Amino acid sequence: MLVDDNPERAQLVEERLWDCGYEVVSVIPSATGLLYQIEQHSPDVVLIDLESPDRDVLESLAIVNHHNPRPVVMFTQEEDPEYINQAVNAGISTYLVGGINPEHVKPVIDVAIAQFRSFQALRDQLNSAKIQLEDRKLVEQAKGLLMAYQKLSEEDAHKLLNKLAMDNNQRLPDVAKTVLATLSPKGRGSKK
Amino acid sequence: MTVTKHLPPPEKEHLKVGFMRLTDSAPLVLAQATGLFSRFGLDVELLREVSWANLRDKLVVGALDAAHLLAPLPMMTSFGAGGLRANLLTGLSLSLNGNAITLSRALWEKLHWEKNPDAAGMTQALARHIDANRDQDVLTLATVHMFSMHTFQLRMWLKAGGIDPDRDVRIIVLPPEQMGDSLARGIIDGFCVGEPWNTLAVQQGSGAVAAVGYDIWNNAPEKVLGVTETWHNHFPGTHLRLRLALMEACQSLSDPQQRTLVAEILSRPEYLDLPVKILMPSLSGHFSIAKHLPPVAIRDFHVFGRYFAGFPWRSQAQWMVKSSAVLLGKKISDDHCQALVQQCYRPDLYREAARFLDIVSPDQDAKPEAAHSGEWHFDDGIVLGADRMIGGDRFLSGV
Repeated sequence: MLVDDNPERAQLVEERLWDCGYEVVSVIPSATGLLYQIEQHSPDVVLIDLESPDRDVLESLAIVNHHNPRPVVMFTQEEDPEYINQAVNAGISTYLVGGINPEHVKPVIDVAIAQFRSFQALRDQLNSAKIQLEDRKLVEQAKGLLMAYQKLSEEDAHKLLNKLAMDNNQRLPDVAKTVLATLSPKGRGSKK
Repeated sequence: MTVTKHLPPPEKEHLKVGFMRLTDSAPLVLAQATGLFSRFGLDVELLREVSWANLRDKLVVGALDAAHLLAPLPMMTSFGAGGLRANLLTGLSLSLNGNAITLSRALWEKLHWEKNPDAAGMTQALARHIDANRDQDVLTLATVHMFSMHTFQLRMWLKAGGIDPDRDVRIIVLPPEQMGDSLARGIIDGFCVGEPWNTLAVQQGSGAVAAVGYDIWNNAPEKVLGVTETWHNHFPGTHLRLRLALMEACQSLSDPQQRTLVAEILSRPEYLDLPVKILMPSLSGHFSIAKHLPPVAIRDFHVFGRYFAGFPWRSQAQWMVKSSAVLLGKKISDDHCQALVQQCYRPDLYREAARFLDIVSPDQDAKPEAAHSGEWHFDDGIVLGADRMIGGDRFLSGV
């Protein structure tokens, strides 16, 4: 069973788990109804987003196991700090339900950790691509303004921006932002 | 308070400290906003976390340096109950009291507060209600964590009325933020939670307060500053500075003006993200137990600085271990209990910090509990608050 409020990531992890021969009995976005879901599906393993507020709910099931027929225990049999570290950094926590052998579960966790990580990497890549694109746009706009107001060639405008960046010890896009704020009609209007 | 002696240098200056979205995170938030951390040479980043399990796990793997923790958690994490096992310790309590028990408006109405206007009267009324409705489904009550003062206070309150918390009701765990909604949707019938979540349910009209924490155990332990034992051993100078900054913050929170200030800071999006008017009732002690009733003065709803609130009493740690053992259905031997208490609750660290602030501190690690109905003299210059328990001293050996 998978508890994750990020539907894209949940789908990736679910597909990968099926590919690896595991049966995903339920995928839920939040643990509203978590207790009910566990009773309904009796999963062997619950994989849950580390940042889910419902982890305390899940852990409480382990503690009150004399009331609840489906105890949930965190994967700590190994007491391997490095492994736990990896899982926490990947953003996943794992709970075993019932008397399943932890050795059989490790591959499931490995798959989940790998998928969580690659999802994170994908998102980081997308973010940095987005930032790069925005940066380039800013620089182009600043160049355009410099060419219009200072009657510079494109090459000279670019050189000027570079020089400003060097002199002020700033990144090129940051200089571009300053230039835009001072030179753009809106920026000039608001200054007056 | 000023530091008069030369402080050892911090081994680490940049710290990540985790907290939960609760009013009693006030000392951390105030220390940050008023520059107390930087005055002690620390650059602290406060990180809001969504579960106690998260705070614990991030402490254990070093993603956090310190955390706002439920008072029983250092012992129960060191014991290895329910989740990741690791040695945690505290040298400073961050607050006393601060919780309340809220019931759904419909259930609260049936218990007739106007005839039973206190915690004891309401639990007796609830006992009669349960007896008269044996043919119905048992009531479901929520707490925020199995090993929390919330669970213990809820159980004490129920037992004081003659209700068996294991048979007559169902107790489940829910995140604080989900309490109000779950109550409004009828998934639960009541809860024990810290502020501002009682006030929010009261103001939204879905619930009304049946008991405030103070009336269940006067000046009960609530939150502590938790770190791992390994972290403390690596960064003792940093830990000392962190405690000093927070002791000053706690002390200044005895001043009503500082409480108003902290309510404004707490209301910001990065902290509690709720209106000041939801945060002020518990901070000011002018608290409405139901939407239609005017606020009443509630004594010591939160205690941060008075009564040596920061001192980690081993008598209380022992009580929490015993009460946790009851929940686990396990026997924890006296020796094991002592070992946990000694390892996790560190009054020596409080005294170390107090010396730097030139304030006196209790020279004993334990104090009598459930023995005083008002302020009392513990020692020269040391006045402690009341420590009564609902139902007298019958819960002294745990609940």
